[in-house]
Amino acid sequence: MNGGSPTGFGLLTLLTFLPTAGALLLMLVPKEYGKFIKYLALGVSIATLAVSFQVLQGFSSSTYHFQMTEYVPWIPALGISYRMGVDGISIWLVMLTTFLSVISIWFSFYIAQREKAYMIFVLLLETAMLGVFTSLDMILFYTFFEASLIPMYFLISIWGGARRGYASIKFFIYTFAGSIFMLIGMISLFTLCRNVTGFPSFYIVDIQQQVANGRLWVGAMQLQPWIFWSFAIAFLVKCPAFPFHTWLPDAHVEAPTAGSVILAGVLLKMGTYGFLRFCLPMFPDIIRSQVPVICLLAVIGIIYGAMVAAVQPDWKKLVAYSSVAHMGFVLIGIFSLNHSGMMGGAMQQLNHGISTGALFLLIGLIYERTHTRQFSDYGGIKSQMPIFSWLFLIVMLSSVGLPGTNGFIGEFLALLGFFQSSYEGVAGLSLGFAIVAGAGVILAAAYLLYMFQQVFYGKNTNPTNLRLKDLKPWEIVMALSLVLFIFWGGVKPNTFLKPMEASIEAARLMATGDPGKRPVWADLDTEIDLREGDHAGSLVRRMHTEVTPGDFYPQRPLAISTLEGTQSAHE
Amino acid sequence: MAANYNQILYVLLLPLFGAIFQALFGKALVDALGVKLGRRVSGTLAVLPIALAFLIGVQLTQALAALPPDQRHIQIQFADWISLLSIKIPFEVVVDPLSMTMVLVITGVGALIHLYATGYMAEEPDYPRFFTYLNLFIACMLILVLGGNLALLFIGWEGVGLCSYLLIGFWYKDLANAKAANKAFITNRVGDWGLSLGMFLLVAELGAHAKELGITDGRFLSYDNIIPHAVNLLQGQPAVATAIALLFFVGAMGKSAQFPLYLWLPDAMAGPTPVSALIHAATMVTSGVVLLNRLHILFELSPVASAVVVAIGAFTALFAALIAFGQTDIKKVLAYSTVSQLGYMFIGCGAGVYWAGMFHVTTHAFFKALLFLGSGAVIHAMAHNQDMRNYGKLAKYIPITCVTMMVGWFAICAIPFTFISSGAFSKEAILGGALANNHAMIGDVNVGRFAGYAGLFGGFLTAFYMTRMTWLTFFGNKERWKEIPVAHHEEHHEDHGHHGEAHADHHHGTDVHGFFYTDEEMAVIEAEKPHEHHHALDGSHVPHEVPPSMWLPLAVLAMLAAGGGIYLDSGERFKLWLQPDKLPVIGELSTEPHNLPLPLTMISLIAGGLGILLGLAFYYKGLPDKEGWDLKKWSPFRRAAKEQFGFDNAAMSIAVDGGGDLSRAAWQVVDVHGIDGVVNDAGYLAGALGALLRKLQTGFIRSYALVMLIGGILLLSTLTLYMYGLPGGSR
Repeated sequence: MNGGSPTGFGLLTLLTFLPTAGALLLMLVPKEYGKFIKYLALGVSIATLAVSFQVLQGFSSSTYHFQMTEYVPWIPALGISYRMGVDGISIWLVMLTTFLSVISIWFSFYIAQREKAYMIFVLLLETAMLGVFTSLDMILFYTFFEASLIPMYFLISIWGGARRGYASIKFFIYTFAGSIFMLIGMISLFTLCRNVTGFPSFYIVDIQQQVANGRLWVGAMQLQPWIFWSFAIAFLVKCPAFPFHTWLPDAHVEAPTAGSVILAGVLLKMGTYGFLRFCLPMFPDIIRSQVPVICLLAVIGIIYGAMVAAVQPDWKKLVAYSSVAHMGFVLIGIFSLNHSGMMGGAMQQLNHGISTGALFLLIGLIYERTHTRQFSDYGGIKSQMPIFSWLFLIVMLSSVGLPGTNGFIGEFLALLGFFQSSYEGVAGLSLGFAIVAGAGVILAAAYLLYMFQQVFYGKNTNPTNLRLKDLKPWEIVMALSLVLFIFWGGVKPNTFLKPMEASIEAARLMATGDPGKRPVWADLDTEIDLREGDHAGSLVRRMHTEVTPGDFYPQRPLAISTLEGTQSAHE
Repeated sequence: MAANYNQILYVLLLPLFGAIFQALFGKALVDALGVKLGRRVSGTLAVLPIALAFLIGVQLTQALAALPPDQRHIQIQFADWISLLSIKIPFEVVVDPLSMTMVLVITGVGALIHLYATGYMAEEPDYPRFFTYLNLFIACMLILVLGGNLALLFIGWEGVGLCSYLLIGFWYKDLANAKAANKAFITNRVGDWGLSLGMFLLVAELGAHAKELGITDGRFLSYDNIIPHAVNLLQGQPAVATAIALLFFVGAMGKSAQFPLYLWLPDAMAGPTPVSALIHAATMVTSGVVLLNRLHILFELSPVASAVVVAIGAFTALFAALIAFGQTDIKKVLAYSTVSQLGYMFIGCGAGVYWAGMFHVTTHAFFKALLFLGSGAVIHAMAHNQDMRNYGKLAKYIPITCVTMMVGWFAICAIPFTFISSGAFSKEAILGGALANNHAMIGDVNVGRFAGYAGLFGGFLTAFYMTRMTWLTFFGNKERWKEIPVAHHEEHHEDHGHHGEAHADHHHGTDVHGFFYTDEEMAVIEAEKPHEHHHALDGSHVPHEVPPSMWLPLAVLAMLAAGGGIYLDSGERFKLWLQPDKLPVIGELSTEPHNLPLPLTMISLIAGGLGILLGLAFYYKGLPDKEGWDLKKWSPFRRAAKEQFGFDNAAMSIAVDGGGDLSRAAWQVVDVHGIDGVVNDAGYLAGALGALLRKLQTGFIRSYALVMLIGGILLLSTLTLYMYGLPGGSR
């Protein structure tokens, strides 16, 4: 029915599998050509970045529908097909992935052993990550989701630190165990959808369509929380949210720098992306009752992550725990079920990718020099490496959420939306949540400034560090490319917000709207009808001209409308 | 006169470009032109943007003043910043009497302090870095006051906090400075928490009534939406009005150093003295007062919130004044005096006479900047020793500094009828407003009135401790630096010079690429350069007057401190200038109380005069023995005051030590053993289970056959039972 006719492979396939092609090419190169391998890998990742710009070029911000969709039948009998597409939720994550991959490979010029295998794994990882964000078939999604574990596992276990064996196995088993439930959830959704439509399909749009018209869950209402949680557990582990976070510090500390950058920058986003893609749109009848649970975990994560981060003696571990806190802000934003909040959460995903990625990158740059991450080995670096300390300061301030940097936009909007939902008592949230979450901003300043102090301030008494040289020009350029986005996101956030808005709003309406108000997915032309108004065909609120900001706030009458009003009431 | 108010953009951008220029090219400039000329050029290029901004500001203010009062609110949108369907926050600027007053103070006093700093920092190796921060600070402060919505205010708000952080920690090699910087930023963040929650609540409320109020553009944080609609919105919801107002006040408490969030300000004195004058006295710390003035409608709608404001203001004014009695560091005295004076400003705001609060902001900017710069000149003259116990009889060595500082001293003592005590005019207005009205009420209790009395008593204390500071520094009977006890020489010269030792073992990391390390130790050369310390303060020391670049600002500020009060007060100039911004919520407030036994000015005169006289009686002859080097001879009150009555220690040990312990417990106990323990145990359990099962794989056919046999029997018997029921059973 909704399948349409096969389109063949297109731009997104090129995007996704270009790194794999590069990896295959690398396999043909003898491993003695280390330098050539590095340049080749960098070239492939830059080409992928260029393709992703092509995708961005063709992307339209005015629709919530999937764009540049591709459809190739795969296993028709089981309803499994090869389907790709991007929408506002995924477009920036695709860009983030291709961008951070270039940075990671560039940094990995520092890798001195088994370069060939290393670069092959990084490129394969890039394919897996891009596949997660572009695939629209649940089985395909699942395949990429799990496939991303394998190269990461090898990156940690071969090029990692002292406890790499423990960390890599923990990373693999923990996240794998989390997502195995998701497969059950997917099969359940598939079965329910088939029961309604009569044909098998793992196509996300097919399922969303049946959710939107309210038919999917008829007769299976009691299953809804179970299936919701089968997805949610996988994504909570991936995010990671408290208390499923303990794999993260180990993985980060042991991973090589490029692994940490990708792990923090992209892999964690698979969790929040999953929430936006699956958990919000597909469980409209129970989402409100699950919101407080997830928000509670997120708020605990914000405070707890910050507290634990503050007392870490290891630089990377501190940033790892700070990720728990930062991803908490993403979660409260997304689960505020409020337009501002969800936009903030979505924005904060990107910010975290940029600023935490940049933190790991900078730590990596100094680690390559000193081979230590213990704060006790540092101190007084500021006078020794002024450029490095400037860059680190900017990145740290973005992480603190200082206005003018991207971090502020995400945090501010997420907290604003979360506060609003809490204030209105939406979905069982109460103000206490928002007030405590807001306090996380104080703690963020505390641990990040303390980190900065331990490394950069004071006297440089470590004899090794007394001979440190500042960053090389290429290292500065690499770091500056991330800093550029920190300011861009802070000063002109609309660049990033606008393309996401329609899709985020569609996800919100799927979660909160009544069946008649939910977006229509099957018919790509519906959107035009949507803008027409309140007649029978309108299923979604008009997204563009006629909506006023007040529509996003449940209107309450004023207690006393005006001074004159009171007076006239007395007369 | 149709002025082009878009010029306000230049006011904002000039300091910003100044900062960017200093950051990118300052160092190169100094390197290229040589230290002396380079610093001079770099310093000039730092002062110029601020001075230019001031000139444009004057021009715009004149244009604004030429407009009829009800048109003096111009809001200009420049560009989009955040535009969502649900909320829109543009880059917009508000030009009105409040913002322009602050622009003039910031750029005017700022330019003078920049000029002063070019002299004060002349020997600083990191010269351009200092002016980068200082210019950036001016830019942020201007965004704070000129921004047309609360989000832009917040950019400036946190931006000035950042600059404050960077400047307090300017001499970062001393870890104490870095810690003071952290304390300032984090304490301010507590305030920012309140401020942001206040914003959120305001947005939620405005949004929920957007259609009824007719706000269709979604700019829920813009002043031109908030201020006209606040009355209608909050009139019927006193609880919400109080909550919003108090949350904003929490923000103001952080930035404006009100009890209990004042803790960071005394420590902030670790920064260079021009920074203390500019940021921690004249401008940044008054942003809380600006915020309250900006949102005064919200506070006027809530008498309870107003009462809290006056109560905290009055308590802070007294508390900080008492602490000042126990301080021996000249900058610390001024710091607590600043905290105390900020308390006065909040008494004014809480009492409803917002313009009086701003009036005090302005006069305080003049005389406190003067006092700080003067103290900087003293410190400069005294080989960077800040302890007043080492001073005495300095008037003869540094006459210009002495005369100008005496003007500042007289201004802060607030002696009415003298015309040159500018503090008197603004303080009168504040206390008069507090005593004459009944705006700040909780129930039937007129808190504002009590605050007024407290303020009068505070005036006495202020005159006393400021007289103490002035006389200990400039007068007395001895030049005390010639007889510092040996034990106290040490503690001021412990800095630097610990390098060079223990460099024998160069065990740096494996230098695989060979280009991470230099051959010589760069840091040693860098670190050995002294900062604010030149030579020891001992008997042979002869204090010298400061260069013209430093005393010129002192002279200008002295003139402002002497004449500013009477000029702005005459014909109610300042009041009428700020008044149009006021919407008629609580109506016109009087500042002339009629229910006192004596006229207010008489009481103030008595309080201030008594303070000065008592101060003279105590300190005319110099340092009394019981305030000397030996702390054991101090009176218990003074010792307690020195330690901030234990409040700082208590708060810090709860927040830092307690928080640290709690966090370590969370990490070691909850995380490593609790949560991760479960995770690892799950792993071990699986492993153990596997090991157990492995034992079954013995490889002996006979044991497998035995198991098969047992299994077969069990299966058959179960089947039998299932099919035929238990023997003798009911089936």
